[in-house]
Amino acid sequence: MQESSTATTTNGPAKWGMAVDLDRCTGCEACVTACHAENNIPTVGANQAAAGRAMHWIRIERYFEGEFPDVHVKFRPVLCQHCDNAPCEPVCPTYASSHTDEGLNAQVYNRCIGTRYCANACNYNVRFFNWFNPIWEKPLHLQLNPDVSLREVSVMEKCTFCVQRIKEAKIDAKRDARPLADGDVKPACVQSCTANALVFGDLNDPESAVSRLSRSPRGTKLLGDLGTQPKITYLQREG
Amino acid sequence: MDRRQFIKLGAATSATATLAGCGNPENQLIRFIPEDDLIPGISVWKPSICPLCSAGCGVLVRIMEGEAEVIRNGQLGLIKMGLAKKLEGNPQHPVNQGKLCVRGQAALQVTYHPDRIANPLKRSGERGSGQFQEISWDDAIAELVSQMNALAAANDQKSLGFLTRPLRGQRQRLVAEFLSRFGAPAALDFEVLGEDVMRRANARSFGYDQLSTFDLAQSRYVLTLGADFLGTWNSPVSQSVGYGEMRQGRPGIRATFVQVEPRMSQTGANADEWVPIKPGTEGVLALGLAHVIMAARLFPAAAAGRAGAQVAGWANGLPAYTPQEVERITGIAAARVERLAREFAEQRPSVAIIGGAPLAHTNGTFNALAVNALNALVGSIGQPGGVYFTPRANVGGAQAGTAQAGRTIDKVAAEILATERSPIQLLMLGEANPVFGTPPAWRVKEALAKIPYIVSFGNFLDETSSLSDLILPDHSFLESWVDDVPESGAMVAVASLAPPAMRPLHQTRAMPDVLLDLGRRLTPAIELPWQNYQAMLQAAFSTLPAPPAPAGEEPADVWRTAQAQGGWWGEVAARPAAAAAQGQAPAAYTEAQFDGAAAEYPYHFLPYASQQFLDGSLAHLPWLQELPDVLTSAMWSSWVEINTQTASQLGIVQGDLVEVGSGQGTLRAPVFVSPAIAPDVIAMPVGQGHETFTRYASGRGANPISILAPVLEAETGSLAWAATRVRVSKVDGDGGLILFGGSLREHSEEHR
Repeated sequence: MQESSTATTTNGPAKWGMAVDLDRCTGCEACVTACHAENNIPTVGANQAAAGRAMHWIRIERYFEGEFPDVHVKFRPVLCQHCDNAPCEPVCPTYASSHTDEGLNAQVYNRCIGTRYCANACNYNVRFFNWFNPIWEKPLHLQLNPDVSLREVSVMEKCTFCVQRIKEAKIDAKRDARPLADGDVKPACVQSCTANALVFGDLNDPESAVSRLSRSPRGTKLLGDLGTQPKITYLQREG
Repeated sequence: MDRRQFIKLGAATSATATLAGCGNPENQLIRFIPEDDLIPGISVWKPSICPLCSAGCGVLVRIMEGEAEVIRNGQLGLIKMGLAKKLEGNPQHPVNQGKLCVRGQAALQVTYHPDRIANPLKRSGERGSGQFQEISWDDAIAELVSQMNALAAANDQKSLGFLTRPLRGQRQRLVAEFLSRFGAPAALDFEVLGEDVMRRANARSFGYDQLSTFDLAQSRYVLTLGADFLGTWNSPVSQSVGYGEMRQGRPGIRATFVQVEPRMSQTGANADEWVPIKPGTEGVLALGLAHVIMAARLFPAAAAGRAGAQVAGWANGLPAYTPQEVERITGIAAARVERLAREFAEQRPSVAIIGGAPLAHTNGTFNALAVNALNALVGSIGQPGGVYFTPRANVGGAQAGTAQAGRTIDKVAAEILATERSPIQLLMLGEANPVFGTPPAWRVKEALAKIPYIVSFGNFLDETSSLSDLILPDHSFLESWVDDVPESGAMVAVASLAPPAMRPLHQTRAMPDVLLDLGRRLTPAIELPWQNYQAMLQAAFSTLPAPPAPAGEEPADVWRTAQAQGGWWGEVAARPAAAAAQGQAPAAYTEAQFDGAAAEYPYHFLPYASQQFLDGSLAHLPWLQELPDVLTSAMWSSWVEINTQTASQLGIVQGDLVEVGSGQGTLRAPVFVSPAIAPDVIAMPVGQGHETFTRYASGRGANPISILAPVLEAETGSLAWAATRVRVSKVDGDGGLILFGGSLREHSEEHR
């Protein structure tokens, strides 16, 4: 039980990461709803949304630049950066926010006691607190994904890089007696991404698509100067 | 591991950690989440078709066993059944190539919506009161049979009407057969933001009465006029896949993208260059570019062929469209017109795309013909990186366009209101909501109220279906046999097909099967050759050619392979272009006409299809209500977009409540102050403002269509929905704007 099963795209364990090509991203938000559907993220309704309690593990940030008529817009999908030096982890008194062997910044829901220190410490504003028990008006509960646990009141939740899909891909690979290949794991946001702006994979495999993109001269880290060592690389727009 | 064990182990490990006093104590903790104990369930992926817009994307449905509360034979009980859990794009489908848009992702909630109509309903209160009582299918069908028999007995079959959103594939064929054999006129199609202007223009320019398909992946230069092709227009997923490739899919080559529109759309936000233009002058810009290209002898006028011949003055090099003249009309500087023209002619393959508001002016067809001619001039028709027309699979002899040409909801409503006895005595209503989606001056609600009997096949009570006398709820798409023939978005012919992905949740019946059943029970009966809709689909798909089989093997069974992969696709014989109509005068620019004098109504009113709800038909899905609009981050609300300078002159700040008034009426909504909209334009998303449309959408926000003037596009007679002028004033009250995001602008490092 202490040994977690690890992927073997290379010799050692995987280090899961993502590349986001901002030159491809169109701001279509397919990723946002795909994430809701995959991860049982509740909708909170208009009143709670107005109180700032809407939950979106991935969001598209939009920034206007310039004034009319010379206006430009930048879109940037923002989700948990799965930092190697994550500010949310040391502040958690119950180790609910912790690192896995494969580099995921995991939120262990049944350790979480709802101090919200982690959300305070996070530089990316990607942690969401359950202020009340989620409600799915019947029969909307039938849409729930049985592979993803539900979070109840007083628990912090966040992007998992669709850990359930990582696990499923490993089981499939093991069943077929083959190593996990690059591209076998697609988190929900990546699978839906209409312009193929999101790429996911093993950063320990230097030949994986995500590793190659992460080495791009266009690559930057979000707030990288804070020393958080994010595992998401943003490829800046050209032109 | 249960909770008790966890606490024990947790206590033990933290004690150890305390003793050790150093190191990484979390490594000592058992880690049963996120991964180790996680055993994914077993799922099966079944194909289906997304029904939410006319793109017709193929989907794969993740089916897992679950327990659902259902009523079977009058008994409520919990049964184990396959339940749809997630939709993904079908990787084999030529339109969306494995991808799915934000709305397609939310389509799952159509099936599980808490306000879905679960049983046949019969009106029990006043018309429009929303009061219904449940009745059995037998009683419901019997009632409809007696209504139709009464029409037949009175020899009044022609007063049966069928109002629906445009149907395709075998559903369309079945409805057409049913109506014609009964003796009724063809179905009346209704769409809020229809595409008749583009189809008309493509028919004139190229001989294809359909929307265009763009090979963006190979384009080097894309110039768009108004079309939100990455968000809501035409085939957005197909176009987004191509967009990603044209930007970063070719080593060393990155296409340039220019968007021309008075209000920056989600698509425009991605452009390298965004060019605001005076509304209704888009065609003039296109002809200005053509003028420069021809004057510089980059391409000869004759290169545009038939498409050029549709534009007045084309053969003479469009002398009236000099850059200076174009600047005067469009507001775009002459030097910029020259530069754009040269870029368009030189960075080939280039393509111009027009759609949305430019076609919803009184001169919409002219604007579209101008862009068609520009594309033809530079050789972008039927060439890599250019414009194509998706070939049509001939499935069982289905043909498009059997709806009555020229018969539109406004004309039918006027006919009903003008006569004592409504020419429609019995109306069958498919999924269409014209009460929400038409200008008030058309008085559609009043006209429907004059129809003695309305039967709806809808899944939900909305502004139109709540006027029904009888509701025979259809299955959701996941519970039905579905088929489709996409009009655009693919380079090969496509006929999508899928069996039901799951069993029905409620006491609903598939509309095609209800029609077939109904036909058999009528006196005289309508004898259609199919026992049920599945049999009809099988007969139709079996006529398609099987893919070539390896030598010595039987060719594959098309019916079975199509079901397995979600449809049939392949090459078909090229369809010749229809001959040009004789005697059609070439189009010349006429100034767009607007309702409302500029002195009293100083702003152009620009409704637009919203990212969440399209034309409003998706406002009932909670995932989409809570989706932050990508440009404003607004959720659960309506808003109007006003230019920063204009807002400041009016003393308006972000979130203020304003009243927007046209000659037709007023509405109230909060303001989103935007730098990306022209100072004389007020924009508003379509979708909210439903009076009746489930618990999530009813009474929320305002409907921009409710203040539109009934202005028509000159050539097609379709609604010119961008031709209304408005005034704006601040009023007291809470705007109720709900935003997810914070500031409009990114703070620089110093301000962090």
